[in-house]
Amino acid sequence: MNMRPTDLGSVVGAPVISLRGVRKDFSGHRVVDDLSFDVARGEIVTLLGRTGAGKTTVLNIIMGTTGIDAGAVRVAGADPFKEFKSLKGRLSVAFQNDRLLPWRTTVENAELGLLILGEDRKRARAKAIEWLANVNLAGAEDKYPHQLSGGMRQRVSLARALAVDPELILLDESFSQLDHVTSRTLRRDFCKVAREFGKTCLIVTHRIDDALEMADRVIVLGPGARIMLEMPLAEARIDQQTRDQCRAQIETALGGKDEADES
Amino acid sequence: MQGFNDQVIEAAHRRTVPGSRFAARAANLLARSTVRETAATTIVVLLLIAAMEVASWYVPDYIMPSPEAVSAAIWRLANTDYIHVFATLGRLAAALSFSLVAGVLLGLLMALSPLLRPFIRSLVVIDTGIPALSWILLAVFWFKNPETRIFFILIMILMPFYALSIYDGFRALPKDLVDMIESFRPSQLQTLRYLIVPHLVPYVILTTKSVIGYATRMVIFAELVASALGVGSRMGLAQSTFHIDEVLAWTFFLVVLNIVLQLLVTAIEKAVLGWRQETAVR
Ligand SMILES: Nc1ncnc2c1ncn2[C@@H]1O[C@H](COP(=O)(O)OP(=O)(O)O)[C@@H](O)[C@H]1O
Ligand SMILES: [Mg+2]
Repeated sequence: MNMRPTDLGSVVGAPVISLRGVRKDFSGHRVVDDLSFDVARGEIVTLLGRTGAGKTTVLNIIMGTTGIDAGAVRVAGADPFKEFKSLKGRLSVAFQNDRLLPWRTTVENAELGLLILGEDRKRARAKAIEWLANVNLAGAEDKYPHQLSGGMRQRVSLARALAVDPELILLDESFSQLDHVTSRTLRRDFCKVAREFGKTCLIVTHRIDDALEMADRVIVLGPGARIMLEMPLAEARIDQQTRDQCRAQIETALGGKDEADES
Repeated sequence: MQGFNDQVIEAAHRRTVPGSRFAARAANLLARSTVRETAATTIVVLLLIAAMEVASWYVPDYIMPSPEAVSAAIWRLANTDYIHVFATLGRLAAALSFSLVAGVLLGLLMALSPLLRPFIRSLVVIDTGIPALSWILLAVFWFKNPETRIFFILIMILMPFYALSIYDGFRALPKDLVDMIESFRPSQLQTLRYLIVPHLVPYVILTTKSVIGYATRMVIFAELVASALGVGSRMGLAQSTFHIDEVLAWTFFLVVLNIVLQLLVTAIEKAVLGWRQETAVR
């Protein structure tokens, strides 16, 4: 699967996501307060934070479904909110719950993004089948969502996001609702695919394990989406000792251990 | 005010179509009946026929004809009156399809236009409060052409069911799925095609299932009053010429027709909504 040729707005090297002094209020309550960070092309970054930290809001801002009150956001060279349609086909999202269309089979769900992008039916179908195989779902193409397990449904959701071959993939707690074993295999499979195809990923999660196992870099968010800690994790993925150190640092940044983060 | 309107809508929508539940259950029973159930049905039908037979011995023919006389009437009518059956079925099909399309459009308009919503809602709610009989009588005053009369009557009765059902369906559209599809940045047409229409199909089918028996009865009524063609008018004629055997023959036909129509809609439901069949059965 080849990457779409990069265009002028996003020269290699320029960040795919760039936030500068972003602020967002919801009815007087400051949910995002002066947030700035970049995500480079091909990088896998996790936004880690407790429930209510404002992670989903940040993701919605990047996705373009939520506008901002101050600051600047650029995603693949465009303002995701004001130039909503211009990012068509350039980013995709996998959500906490799988959000599959219950009346479409696995393969029909996986090809949805491609059909919306105007891909012809045959090629969309072929690509969807290929991506389902990439997330280890070969053979389940004609099943309906209610016939699949939670883990399988989440795989379909990931295949649907990957199949449009976007420059950027956003994940909002995609692995949080699964049991630990399922979640671990799925994280591993997803990262393998994402790295193989050089996808830029922003993974929102409240679980430290998600960050430690997948990310090149973690950004820990506190209340008001303020950055508490920013740290590279490439080393931690390989080395157990670094990993334990990183975990301890992240726990401190989060302000203590949380039951939900245990594995 | 808003709350009150919602309550009225809810109440209007909850109003079930007379007899529809029973008809649907009867059809369901028939569709997956066991040997025992089939036997029971057969026994009931035989007992009814026996009761008719016995009654016909003691009362005059114009009160209760023998089953034999009724079956002779069925045979006779099948050869001479099939044109009336076609007329009735044609009217039913035309009015039902038009009500479906127009009702769906009204429901969508209601859901999509905040400006028009209160107006359409009031219209629909007022309409559901007007008795079918009023429409039948008004149609006779307002229109000369019997086809126009019957079409008008059926549409006024059936359309609000579709409009309210679609409006409800639209409001039940899961926000999660809307956000999901929005994340691909679809055109409005694509959102309609991939999300809204498939989501609304069950509502249309279930509404059809619940109104079809009612619609059949209404078309017969309308024909009785407003036309010289069709099963309803033939039943009226049979009554006024003291042919009770023909009244019973038509009644028999209508019972069978109702069952066949229910089976038909159930079959369509199974074919189109196969994706949720298993969860429904389990
Ligand atoms: N649309 C909204 N309107 C009002 N408040 C909101 C809205 N979305 C989020 N919030 C508030 O913003 C805060 C952060 O929410 P969210 O971004 O969902 O956090 P997280 O994903 O980190 O759990 C919460 O207090 C939440 O109540
Ligand atoms: Mg969240």
